[in-house]
Amino acid sequence: FSSMFQSFAGKANLEMSDLEPALKALKDRLLTKNVAEEIAEKLCESVAASLVGKKLASFTRVSSTVQAAMEDALVRILTPKRSIDVLRDVHAAKEQGRPYVITFVGVNGVGKSTNLAKIAYWLQQHSISVMMAACDTFRSGAVEQLRTHARRLQIPIFEKGYEKDPAVVAKEAIQEASRNGSDVVLVDTAGRMQDNEPLMRALSKLISLNSPDLVLFVGEALVGNDAVDQLSKFNQKLADLSNSPSSRVIDGIVLTKFDCIDDKVGAALSMVYISGAPVMFVGCGQSYTDLKKLNVKTIVKTLLK
Amino acid sequence: MVLGELSGSISRALAQMSNATIIDEKVLNDCLNEITRALLKADVHFDLVKNMTINIKKIVNLDDLAAGHNKRRIIQQAIFNELCKMLDTGKPSFIPKKGKTSVIMFVGLQGSGKTTSCTKYAYYHQKKGFKPALVCADTFRAGAFDQLKQNATKAKIPFYGSYMESDPVKIAIEGVERFKQENCDLIIVDTSGRHQQEASLFEEMRQLAESTKPDLVIFVMDSSIGQAAFSQAQAFNRSVSVGAVIVTKTEGAAKGGGALSAVAATKSPVIFLGTGEHMDEFEVFDVKPFVSRLLGMGDWSGFMEK
Ligand SMILES: Nc1nc2c(ncn2[C@@H]2O[C@H](COP(=O)(O)OP(=O)(O)OP(=O)(O)O)[C@@H](O)[C@H]2O)c(=O)[nH]1
Ligand SMILES: Nc1nc2c(ncn2[C@@H]2O[C@H](COP(=O)(O)OP(=O)(O)OP(=O)(O)O)[C@@H](O)[C@H]2O)c(=O)[nH]1
Ligand SMILES: [Mg+2]
Ligand SMILES: [Mg+2]
Repeated sequence: FSSMFQSFAGKANLEMSDLEPALKALKDRLLTKNVAEEIAEKLCESVAASLVGKKLASFTRVSSTVQAAMEDALVRILTPKRSIDVLRDVHAAKEQGRPYVITFVGVNGVGKSTNLAKIAYWLQQHSISVMMAACDTFRSGAVEQLRTHARRLQIPIFEKGYEKDPAVVAKEAIQEASRNGSDVVLVDTAGRMQDNEPLMRALSKLISLNSPDLVLFVGEALVGNDAVDQLSKFNQKLADLSNSPSSRVIDGIVLTKFDCIDDKVGAALSMVYISGAPVMFVGCGQSYTDLKKLNVKTIVKTLLK
Repeated sequence: MVLGELSGSISRALAQMSNATIIDEKVLNDCLNEITRALLKADVHFDLVKNMTINIKKIVNLDDLAAGHNKRRIIQQAIFNELCKMLDTGKPSFIPKKGKTSVIMFVGLQGSGKTTSCTKYAYYHQKKGFKPALVCADTFRAGAFDQLKQNATKAKIPFYGSYMESDPVKIAIEGVERFKQENCDLIIVDTSGRHQQEASLFEEMRQLAESTKPDLVIFVMDSSIGQAAFSQAQAFNRSVSVGAVIVTKTEGAAKGGGALSAVAATKSPVIFLGTGEHMDEFEVFDVKPFVSRLLGMGDWSGFMEK
């Protein structure tokens, strides 16, 4: 351990063996913060690659050099490359005389329907009129759940009960929204496992039939290594299975249950790293106001603490 | 299968060790590193993994192993024992008996699969000749009662709940009382999702347990949960004394290590796995055959007697 704190001032170029102890400690720290193993490993490799052969600045320790390089890498990854301004895009769609459509997708029980309702509330606060589309036509109570939120928020809901084709329900909902002049349609979908071929195909159909303006992947901050598999498979299957020429991917991430994890914030990093999609909303509780923006600085600080 | 990938990684690590002509410190360390990585990849809690590796090393003290000993077998056995130790608390869970009233309370984090697993559990026992009943003590989540009601109706299981009453404790007491009078022998209480960071919700859960006096509290965990699993499980256990664990959503490439860490945190066995959204997608869980299957080994029975 002590070698980590040795001062290399004036020493020749850094070698892999100089970096290894500090990197190992850093990787372990990321793992305890719930970063997926594969991602922690790749990050350490890239930090190593960026440092090997460099000269250590005088009076700095290897460990702080490694930490600084990691911090840079984390900030770079978590800072969105594509920025999406939902409010602006909603207004643009409105000017074209059509509703802006957001579809919520993800595995079972992560918080799609609840955070859809929170986003509905947030849009309302910005004087945007919203309609909900109950396209989870499978899970018991899913329609009633959404109906309850619609009633509490006094938002119209389009529903056709259970066992209907969700792609068709979504289509009709969007038509209805055009008729009644709603600015935004929020499409709830059933949860599904990323390996379930028939259900993934059905989702792909819903998306290619309706080409929503925004596909939001809802993932919970509690998730461990499966985050990588979930995001890559949702992305990949939406792209593979859609029959439209311009293949779709996930546009943004809703990171939920952020209030359940204390300092184990690693899922945020895993999700963004693997998909390249920005975290657009953070769900941090079960009431309508529990919706935040991701604070990159805080996440990076927590990861390295 | 839960820990499915882990199985492959461990077998590979063991096979590599078998290929080595002599087993020295380096071969052992490589093998343990591989296994450590595989366990972390499967979401097993970091501290548990650390301890497991230390224990294995202690048991497999190379210097102490005389030449005649079969080192590979000793190492394999150490891994097997450590996995069993993590998954097997040695404490059997409460088993409901037909004709004798049992109250079972389901608790867990938000969205872990409590409501779904409640019905599966009821349905499983109904087929075995029990008279189950479901009580919806979740007055918080939108649509919770409708969900339970629709599930129960499909399975033809009596249910109790309310659209108006907002106090879950009141509903739980009334529901349990009602079904006791109706001579149901398996009364299942579904509760709202909650987490340790919200003290008031934990207090509510404690009151629910105090007023319904469950014979068994089942902690339901999602198989995809990561490093937060251990402390959440511990917190639930501190509040309501968990007696068994159900791990859900285990079909597909479930990792499961986080949820299985809950066993260590609650000292309670996993009793069922949820393997799909449908009522009958529910499997009984048994530790030892599971671990042997996991290690991809044939006959481990020799290892089990100690
Ligand atoms: N603590 C906490 N709980 C949340 C959050 N978001 C959602 N939940 C809870 O998580 C549970 C599941 O939420 P849902 O919105 O039903 O999840 P879903 O993804 O729509 O579930 P399915 O449709 O069944 O796949 C509910 O109990 C919600 O109240 C959050 O940010 N924090
Ligand atoms: N694929 C799969 N889905 C499951 C399984 N068990 C539950 N689910 C799904 O997971 C989601 C959440 O399940 P619920 O039973 O509503 O979870 P809960 O713990 O009662 O949720 P709250 O009451 O909101 O805390 C639903 O979409 C279920 O259909 C399973 O074994 N496999
Ligand atoms: Mg939903
Ligand atoms: Mg529930």
